[in-house]
Amino acid sequence: MNAAEELKQKLPAAVVSTGMQVNKPMAVIKKEELLNAARKVKEMGFDHLSVITGTDYKDHFEVVYNFFSYNNKHNLVLKVIADHDKPEVDSLTSLWKGADWLERETYDLVGIKFRGHPNLIRILLPDGWNGHPLRKDYDMNTEQFVTVGENGDDIVSPDGTNLLRRK
Amino acid sequence: METDELIINMGPVHPSTHGVLRFKLRMDGEIIKECTPVLGYLHRGTEKLGEMKTYLQFIPYTDRLDYMSAFPNNYAYVKAVEELAGIEVPLRAEYIRVITMELNRIVNHLVSIGSLLLDLGASTMIMWGFRERENALQLFEKLCGARMTFNYIKPGGVREDIPEGFIPQLNEFLKDMEKRIEDYEQLINSNEIFLMRMKNIGVISAEDAINYGMTGPTLRGSGVDYDLRKYEPYSIYPDLDFKACVRDECDSYARYIVRIEEMKESLHILRQVVDTIPEAKIVSNPKYGVAPMTGTPSAVSTYFPRIFTPPTGEVYSRIEAPKGELGFYIASDGTTKPYRVKIRSPSFCNLTAIPKMVQGLKIPDLIAAFGTIDVVLGDVDR
Amino acid sequence: MEEGGFRVDPVTIDTTKIKTAKKKPVTALEKLEDTGLINTVLAAREREGLILFSTIDQIFNWARLSSLWPVSSGLACCAIEMMATAMAHHDIARFGMEIFRASPRQADLMFVAGTVTKRMAPRVKQLYEMMPDPKWVIAVGSCASTGGPYIESYSVLKGVDLIIPVDVYIPGCPPRPEAWLYGIIQLREKIKNEGYGAKWGLNK
Repeated sequence: MNAAEELKQKLPAAVVSTGMQVNKPMAVIKKEELLNAARKVKEMGFDHLSVITGTDYKDHFEVVYNFFSYNNKHNLVLKVIADHDKPEVDSLTSLWKGADWLERETYDLVGIKFRGHPNLIRILLPDGWNGHPLRKDYDMNTEQFVTVGENGDDIVSPDGTNLLRRK
Repeated sequence: METDELIINMGPVHPSTHGVLRFKLRMDGEIIKECTPVLGYLHRGTEKLGEMKTYLQFIPYTDRLDYMSAFPNNYAYVKAVEELAGIEVPLRAEYIRVITMELNRIVNHLVSIGSLLLDLGASTMIMWGFRERENALQLFEKLCGARMTFNYIKPGGVREDIPEGFIPQLNEFLKDMEKRIEDYEQLINSNEIFLMRMKNIGVISAEDAINYGMTGPTLRGSGVDYDLRKYEPYSIYPDLDFKACVRDECDSYARYIVRIEEMKESLHILRQVVDTIPEAKIVSNPKYGVAPMTGTPSAVSTYFPRIFTPPTGEVYSRIEAPKGELGFYIASDGTTKPYRVKIRSPSFCNLTAIPKMVQGLKIPDLIAAFGTIDVVLGDVDR
Repeated sequence: MEEGGFRVDPVTIDTTKIKTAKKKPVTALEKLEDTGLINTVLAAREREGLILFSTIDQIFNWARLSSLWPVSSGLACCAIEMMATAMAHHDIARFGMEIFRASPRQADLMFVAGTVTKRMAPRVKQLYEMMPDPKWVIAVGSCASTGGPYIESYSVLKGVDLIIPVDVYIPGCPPRPEAWLYGIIQLREKIKNEGYGAKWGLNK
């Protein structure tokens, strides 16, 4: 029995379905039950949160968590499906501190909000950037420029006249 | 005496932030109360470009993520694609890949240790490190014509077979390197100033290191015996004899020693690979790469078709890059371009722990601790 | 000479009357002539003593190009090759350039070594503005020149010449240290021919 099925046995209400991500067992989790499931996963010995990936599938968002257990050398993948209109899932920062930046990055680039995150601000792009670039409907044609304000903060605007030498 | 709090800004242009990282430091006198890294000054949108390029066109971008060690970056991405499409790789190609990756590990650690020492104020090591690096780069050049950004490892194999004269030159390099590492150890390991700057600086316990998602030499410096090459083996690593280098002091010195030991292990691996490399000159899976011309074996350059369509699905594949666990998540929708490419970069995740590591230390200690984490900003910001 | 704060009135010189000696350099003056850097030294040998006529441009240019101090700021991949160029194997010290200054106030050359992102662009511009005149910029690599492989990206500036003037472009991704050295030599050539003298044809 692989880890995903074990999780399903322990938390039948949370797991929608199980499957494989190529060679790693994967469990699709209900959005509301993510924090419970993650807590259970940590109890099962998966102490390493490898990566959090958010993907825009046009009609919904998928957030994929890859876990690994240093003791048992097992992988486990959790997947959560979020609405496209209001993508919001629970934050795992209370369980893994490493989730902090990974979630901020997912918020920054994909635009998925993490409930309960202590400091959910943009990390790679400057504050005030318009849009989330990894969404499929991101406008790649509009240029945005960054200038530095009086106190050293970034100011984003589509107007680059202060920065550019010529049009 | 009561002092006011002081906010110090360090970077993005600062000689010891290894690029364009910025720290916002809240200081109480000389003591760091809070350190907030500010990232994104080198955010180049690689993941978005991954969605705009075909599978093979994206390989050069992986070179430019962690530009100190481009071969493992190539390999991690190609491995993910291979897992996605179920491509088998000829044995000789795997051997060549391991040669390149282990050489690149040595190069990476040389630059890492060199710039660490430079940040601490000792400029000998960086001169020495770059001297040996230059020898290794000559090997890379011989192999694929490039010094830093290779685009050499392709799905189903490698671009070219190793040229004539490569193995003897590699043997010479290995012989030379052995002596050089002894030199480094004599120069650095017991240097009083170095020890004072390194011991008990930037301490992070094993539990914290795991919780923060640290990997690679930084994790092994905290006493966690984990090396993906050994415990989640890929390529030909199961057939090779080597050990994961672990130290349990949890401080900057331990991380430095782990890097030195890893260089020795890499030499050990390379010697085995050179001895056992298969003779058959097949370096690419004929289904995915065809050799359009014949000639001397070394002149055969493999042509990889640009259009390449893996089946629908998603994969997350990771390897032990010199800096830690490097993973690629690829979602495919059955077209010629990936639907989503996510890069799990070791530098980004290792950097998460910096605020915890340097709390209560002084600014020079931040530089020392940061130097041993060994981040590359191309890898952090992507 | 605006840059140096000097103003030199043009002197009319009848060049046909100058005799050029083609013998082995012995005196300090002759050695200076022989370097070729001050290739229009007009020595009035008929006069008593050692009088050297040159243009202030040339003296300044010679001094400037002989020890360019780069500001130590690397942005991306090319910065590693910048380090390689500065190290023993390629040895940028041959050009008097081994002193990479951490402060732009002390530097007169900036290598824009790597991708200039939108977020970094104002900082690069500020760095350039902080450098005292005279100052030069070398755009290294295809990213700094045009945007390079990242030209389609949403967060990359398409060439650093959009925000600051560039003197020399070095192509490559990243350029080899030899290419860096060639670029530096080109910049030295450029500096040699700067100033009003060049406009009047005196520096030829």
